[in-house]
Parts: sequence; structure tokens; C-alpha cells
Amino acid sequence: MEFSHEVKDSYAEVRADGRLNMVSAPKLREYVTDVIAGGSSRIVVNLEKTGFMDSSGLGALIGCLKAARQAGGDLRIASVQPQVKMVLELTSMDRVLTSYASPEEAFSND
Amino acid sequence: MPSMPETRRAVVIEDDPDIRGLLVRVLVKQGFLVTEAAAGLPGVELVRSERPDLVTLDLNLPDIDGLEVCKRLREFSDAFIVMLTARADELDKLTGLDNGADDYISKPFSPRELQSRINALFRRRRQSPAVDTAARSELERATEVQQSLLPNEDVRVEGYDLAGAFRPSRSVGGDFYDWYRTPDGLHLTFADAMGKGMGAALIAATVRAVMRSMGHRRDLDGAFASASKAIATDLDSSNSFVTLFHARLDAASGNVSYVDAGHGLALHVTADGGVHRLPSGGPPVGAWAGTTWPQSTLDLAPGDALVVVSDGVLDVFDSVEAFTAAVLAAVHGQESAQAASNAILALAPAESAEDDVTVVVVRRLPETAAA
Repeated sequence: MEFSHEVKDSYAEVRADGRLNMVSAPKLREYVTDVIAGGSSRIVVNLEKTGFMDSSGLGALIGCLKAARQAGGDLRIASVQPQVKMVLELTSMDRVLTSYASPEEAFSND
Repeated sequence: MPSMPETRRAVVIEDDPDIRGLLVRVLVKQGFLVTEAAAGLPGVELVRSERPDLVTLDLNLPDIDGLEVCKRLREFSDAFIVMLTARADELDKLTGLDNGADDYISKPFSPRELQSRINALFRRRRQSPAVDTAARSELERATEVQQSLLPNEDVRVEGYDLAGAFRPSRSVGGDFYDWYRTPDGLHLTFADAMGKGMGAALIAATVRAVMRSMGHRRDLDGAFASASKAIATDLDSSNSFVTLFHARLDAASGNVSYVDAGHGLALHVTADGGVHRLPSGGPPVGAWAGTTWPQSTLDLAPGDALVVVSDGVLDVFDSVEAFTAAVLAAVHGQESAQAASNAILALAPAESAEDDVTVVVVRRLPETAAA
């Protein structure tokens, strides 16, 4: 899995390309924590190229959301692909992790 | 732990019968117990069942290529893998890649060269036996913990046919199911802890114990609220969560009351071949603070079944709809709960399943049979 991020006007966009599983989950958590520590607590995780997520991956997203809220911000997800969407719906985590069609839309209303 | 040194096992995966025969002879001479496969896919299966210490693997196989075989083997096996190739130029390319093999030999090879390479590999292992043993025994212990969570006695409920099946993955996931008789019928718990290995197994053990301890409380809402609170407290420090389906059957009426925390893979299959998936009532336990889960109910009519399946089966399908249809097709018309459960297990073939697979079928017998 490859990580990258870009700090925009009102949020930081994190990309997590590849499979979000037991191996990459701790790395995502570490990566996002670093971005938050760098001063951006409003995070959009762009999942456009995240084709697969298992329970550990879901755990990492939840951990990142908690960290962003802790820092006074929020974490939102964008461009969610079918398998990831399926996991979020099955587990009812779509009620907690708000998803948007594109990264630009995620923080456009606040 | 056995004190006798175990026989070393080897699997030879090679399509050329002459070379295969030669490899087998060389390895037998070195004291290996050898089994052989002529193609990649049967080879993967053989390694899974034999759990060898050594695999020789031809790069060019008739079904899938050796690199793919190597990749699949590395998902569950830590055997030494020696790759054989007929082309010297391939050899240069291969050795530069981290593709999971331990050594490469070009064909034609001399039996003596093969012997000395293999000896070198096993010498290397002897230099770091502590790490190896520690990792292996942790996985073995995790497997034991997981196995110990499963019901070990037959549970019978008059008028019902019950079956449960569990197939662990090599890496030990956090699946388990538990059920026991109550004066009214049956309590069933079906859970999957996040992650793999000992951590997941220990969380599963906690969940089972907590759910059992709440069994005597008659109100399901209250029992589940207390149980989830206790589990979440334990999970908090490990940043983990568990999906949890808990159901209580009133045998006489067929009424099932249940709570689903983030599982979402329980199905109500009706006698006429209909199916209704029970959506989860909220996130997994431990995932999000302040969550509450509503209790729901369903009625099992004669011939109906409650089928609960783990996400190890879902992983094989592209969508929940395809999964639901496949489970229905597997269950419908089966003679017994056991046959239905076997058919569901078969949906996720062992060779491609990366996660544990767990299935529970609670079938209410048709009225004629129940009488």
C-alpha cells in the first residue's frame, strides 16, 4: 500500500492506494497520526484506489477518526469503492464514517 | 512438545516426470518423507495438507506459474522453497527479486549440488531456532485457544436440526460460535474479533465468557448492553473491535430475538426458498463509544432456517447480493442442517480462503417430521 498526502486550504487529503489489510493498517494509522501531528486535524482519506479493506483496515480508519476528533477536527472518507462500501454497510460503520463522492465535497459545507 | 526429532517432510512440485523422479530420489536419500505434485494448484494443496519443511518448485508449470505458486505458499507456509528453472537468464532475474523463495537452482542440476544447497538451508535455520519456535508456538497456542472456544458437546433442541462448522485459516482469525440449551430453547453467539493471531483469539475468548455470563438474564436488551459494555472496556486498550451476533430461540413458538452488532451476515431462509438478510443493528462492539443496539425478532416457521455465516465466505463474492443468493442456493432443498452447513463451507474453497470460515445453521423441522 502506498500513502501520500496533500495539505489543501481547509483540510488535508490522504491517499491510501492498494489493499488496506492487517499489514498496511498500522501504517495508515501511523501516517495519518503524523499528518494530524503536523497541524492538520481535518482529514479526508481518499479511497479511490483502495480496492480492498478487511477488519484491521476498518479498525485503522476508526482509530484515525478518533485521533482527528481528539485533535478538534474530523476525518471523512471519499471516493469509496464497492468492496470497501460493502464492509462499511455490513458493519453499520457507514453511520460513523461519513463518505463523500469526492475529496472536494467532504468539507465543502463547513 | 515431542522430544524425538520429527521426520522432515518435502513436497516436490514438478511437471516433468523424469526430473520429478530424480528430485524425489535425492530427497528420500537425504531422509525426507517426500510427496509429489505434477502441477501448481495440486502442489499448493499438498503443501497445505503435508506441512512440509521443504518444497522444490519448478518455475514453468502447466497450470499456474511457479512464482504464483510461491506467493500462495507464502500465505500459509514457512517451508524452505527451492525454485528450479531451465533458463539461466531467468535465474539472474529471479535472484534479484524478493518473491518468497529461499534458493534457486538451474536445470540441469547435479544431485550433489541440490543436496548441498538443501543442507545449507537447514543449517541456516538451526542458527536461529529460538525465533522460529517462538513464532510457531504462538500460532499453535492461538489455534488451541480458538479451538477451545467452540462448543464441544452436542446440543439438541426438540423440533430443530442444528449444525455448526468452523474451518480455521493458517494465520488464526478471531472467529468463533457458541451455543447452549436453555429451558426455553437455545442461545447462540457468533463473533469475529478484528485481526489475527493470539490477540484475536484472546479477544474471542473474552467475548465468549462475557456472553455466557449474561445468559441467565431474561431481558435481551439489558443483557446485551451489559455484555457489550464489559467487552468494550476490555477492547479499549487494544484498539480493537468485535462483530457480534447473539440470538435467543424460543423453541415452542419459533420466535428468535437477536441483536446484531456489525455482523450483518445472518440470513433467514424460508421453507419456500425465500431469503431475508438481517442487517446489523449498529457498529461492532468496541468500535465506537456510546453505541446502543436495538433488539429485533423473526419467526422461524416450520421448514425455515436461521443461517449465520462469517465474512470468510463473503470474501469469495463480489457483493452481498451475490453472497446471499449463493448461500440460499447452497441451503435450499438440503436434507439436513449438516448438509446445508457443508454446502456453505464449500462456497469458500480451502485453497482460496484467507480467513477463518464459520457457519451455523438452525433449522426448524417441517411439521410432519417434527410430529
